[in-house]
Amino acid sequence: MQLSFDPRPFDLLGGLKVWGVVCLVVVALAWGIAGLLMFLQSGAPGLARLIDLTTGLIRDFLQTSPRRVWALAVHTFREAARKRALWVFAVFAVLFLFAGWFMPELKQSPDMAIRNYVSFVLRTITWLTIPVVGLLACWGLPEDIRLRSLHTVVTKPVRRQEIVLGRIVGFLGIGLLVLLIVGSVGYVWIVRQVPENFGQVTARVPIYGELRFLTREGKSEDEQGMEASGVNVGDEAIFRQFVEGNTQARAIWRFEGVDMNRLQNGQLILESTFQSFRTHKGKVDQELLGQFTLVNPKNGVRVPLQTFFNREFRRNSYNVTERNSRGEGGKLELKDEQGRTVDLAKDVLDGGQLDVEVACLSPGQFMGMARPDLFIRLPDRAFLTAYGKGLFSIFLMLTMIVVLGVMSGCFLKGPVATMLTGFIFLVGRLSHDFLQQLTSDKLLDNPKLQMRGRGLLESLYRLPTHLGPQIEVEDNTTQRVIKAIDNIELNALWGVKYLFPDFTQFDATAFVANSFDVPWDAALLPNLATTIGFCVPWIIVGYFALKCRELEAK
Amino acid sequence: MSTSPENVIVTRNLTKTYRDFWGRPKVKALNSLSIDVKRGEVFGLLGPNGSGKTTTLKLLLGLLFPTDGEVSILGRPATDVSKNEKIGYLPEESYLYRFLNAEETLDFYGRLFDMPASVRKERTRELIKMVQLDHAKRRQLKEYSKGMTRRIGLAQALINDPELILLDEPTSGLDPIGSRDMKDLIIGLKERGKTVVMCSHLLADVQDVCDRIAILDGGELKVFGRVQDLLKDQGVTQIKTSKLPPEAMKEVEAVLQKHGSKVMEVDNPTATLEELFIKTVRESAARPGQRYIPPSN
Ligand SMILES: Nc1ncnc2c1ncn2[C@@H]1O[C@H](COP(=O)(O)OP(=O)(O)OP(=O)(O)O)[C@@H](O)[C@H]1O
Ligand SMILES: [Mg+2]
Repeated sequence: MQLSFDPRPFDLLGGLKVWGVVCLVVVALAWGIAGLLMFLQSGAPGLARLIDLTTGLIRDFLQTSPRRVWALAVHTFREAARKRALWVFAVFAVLFLFAGWFMPELKQSPDMAIRNYVSFVLRTITWLTIPVVGLLACWGLPEDIRLRSLHTVVTKPVRRQEIVLGRIVGFLGIGLLVLLIVGSVGYVWIVRQVPENFGQVTARVPIYGELRFLTREGKSEDEQGMEASGVNVGDEAIFRQFVEGNTQARAIWRFEGVDMNRLQNGQLILESTFQSFRTHKGKVDQELLGQFTLVNPKNGVRVPLQTFFNREFRRNSYNVTERNSRGEGGKLELKDEQGRTVDLAKDVLDGGQLDVEVACLSPGQFMGMARPDLFIRLPDRAFLTAYGKGLFSIFLMLTMIVVLGVMSGCFLKGPVATMLTGFIFLVGRLSHDFLQQLTSDKLLDNPKLQMRGRGLLESLYRLPTHLGPQIEVEDNTTQRVIKAIDNIELNALWGVKYLFPDFTQFDATAFVANSFDVPWDAALLPNLATTIGFCVPWIIVGYFALKCRELEAK
Repeated sequence: MSTSPENVIVTRNLTKTYRDFWGRPKVKALNSLSIDVKRGEVFGLLGPNGSGKTTTLKLLLGLLFPTDGEVSILGRPATDVSKNEKIGYLPEESYLYRFLNAEETLDFYGRLFDMPASVRKERTRELIKMVQLDHAKRRQLKEYSKGMTRRIGLAQALINDPELILLDEPTSGLDPIGSRDMKDLIIGLKERGKTVVMCSHLLADVQDVCDRIAILDGGELKVFGRVQDLLKDQGVTQIKTSKLPPEAMKEVEAVLQKHGSKVMEVDNPTATLEELFIKTVRESAARPGQRYIPPSN
């Protein structure tokens, strides 16, 4: 029931900047190399031709005729339909018919059951549509060229980018249709699997905050003057940090934009998925005790709330309004630390900022938390919304694959185009994290976080000289040259990383299956930006490849 | 390149060398071809198999890029897409989509010309009727016979009512009536002021419809000129009169004898194109690399 990653809002401007830089570098490189080759081949006229090609690009794209693109798209669609390429999707229906037999029955835990069903459906849809539509896209143009049917098309007033775009739109149409059909089948299937629990299938809308910690002495900085952090209880991955019980240690979330009007019926609901870490047994089935304190950072109002038990591996929903209602008619009664009655709207939420401090009250035990482990729950959306957005994410990934496939088909034969597309997809899917780690901006800029013995040359130097990674190399000219060259390598790697899109980001299953809505700023926006950011250059590459290609000389 | 308005096609030193994957020259398919085609004429490209006719057409259309030399077609470079608005091309083999039927095929190509729906429909109907495929217009092209495929190929070449029509072996695969119709069609196009360039092996057809021809062999231009001029034998004078009585005939012979000539034949004076063609190809084999100039010129 917890996210194992951190859904952060996407920094559109920063992304655009990186995109711009990478595009500039790639264009400059391509231009330089092409210019050099053409100059070597045919001298000045070669350069003139390069300039001609470049201006031709702008001219051609300005003259794109949407009607021709549409005609080609419809044609592509019809081709796939007539060649009965889509029968594969019948497999999907069959899969669903039988899947129910093999899925574990999880009567005791409806959350888990729903999660299993939803992940199963979304994964199946992904892994069925991507290969089929991808294969269609990779083989479309090469077959068209091989059978020479494209030749008749290019003797009509059709511009090359119209062919590329027409193919893309056509395959996307197929993808969309298929997604809609299998998506609906999947939805109906989910609904029928969990009829009695369908009320629990929903799309929660969270507000996430920024998390910081206080030390066990209640300070915000540790002895070394570093920002306080929680305790690492020995996990290798430090996704969650732990707060020690019965000390001054706190985890503090700061939420922005919290407003009575946005809340669910004016009720403040805190949902948490903290981990419990026990250093001694105590009563084994006794859950750890915790306490929230609401703080308004603007006016300093501090409201300790009723304590709660942290149930592990489950959603803990803490309704501030209900849990703190006493007096006549179950009215909400909040008291600040001095015992004065305060009002949720007027005092606590005034100014839109809210800090929530979390303390562990069980002595000697630890409570583990990461940023997405606590959020304010806004009114839910319908499950269908989240499901639809999940499908939309898959559609964006499909778009990437289609554009990539069509682009490869512009200069490669079917099998090779398939291999290239598959390669880029796999690299983007499997090893993006690895590339990211190797070259993350932090590593390049922040010496403290730099990998020890980092670059290739430096490692080559360290190995035979038995220099451990903890020892700094001496600072002389040779070493500086080595470092400089290594920096070029790492920067090149940094650039290469951006040539492979991160295909993992399109998987919205974690949201939908965990009954979250798919957030716009942390998922859909970056997905959309990635799709556009990659597809535009790919389309241009396809256009050039097709333009410079002598169709007849195979 | 200078192009006068009446020259629809101009090529200068057009050369094409096919290369293999590594860029090594494989076949020199066309060598230094310089011809021009005038507006409103029917131009024939002749030559044995593999002499570079199809290559020439593809160079004109920008399907191939020349190794050397220049092409101007309708006053534009061959790679300019907008020239295609006014061009119709019937490929050597019909490179059409086999999963479409005749109507869909024409409709599809019509859309590529951005033609409005009503015009498209009308043209489709007309053309299908013209190529006599009415009975099969709903059948997919993969079921078509060779001649039927040629017919639909021709129809798609004419969908935009082009000014310049390039036909690669238009009569191949057609039945006798079909070839007859094709010839009539070409003459009809010419009458409407269109320019036609065709390759063909059927010399009788070429002789009937072409104004000018070029004969290629091994990628080289061997003969180029007006059909009538090329076939006229300058060593022979033909006198055509109303029927002569025998005594008049004797007198004519006497006159001729006085001038040192003699009657060789009282019939059919022009050579056929077939003779010219065979002679050209033989000559070319005997003296490779040379332009063959018929003795008359
Ligand atoms: N794609 C190609 N790759 C390599 N060589 C080719 C290619 N196309 C044609 N050729 C060669 O170019 C030469 C000219 O071929 P072309 O097709 O122009 O002949 P053609 O005059 O049209 O012959 P035909 O009367 O048989 O149609 C031939 O030697 C042929 O083998
Ligand atoms: Mg040919």
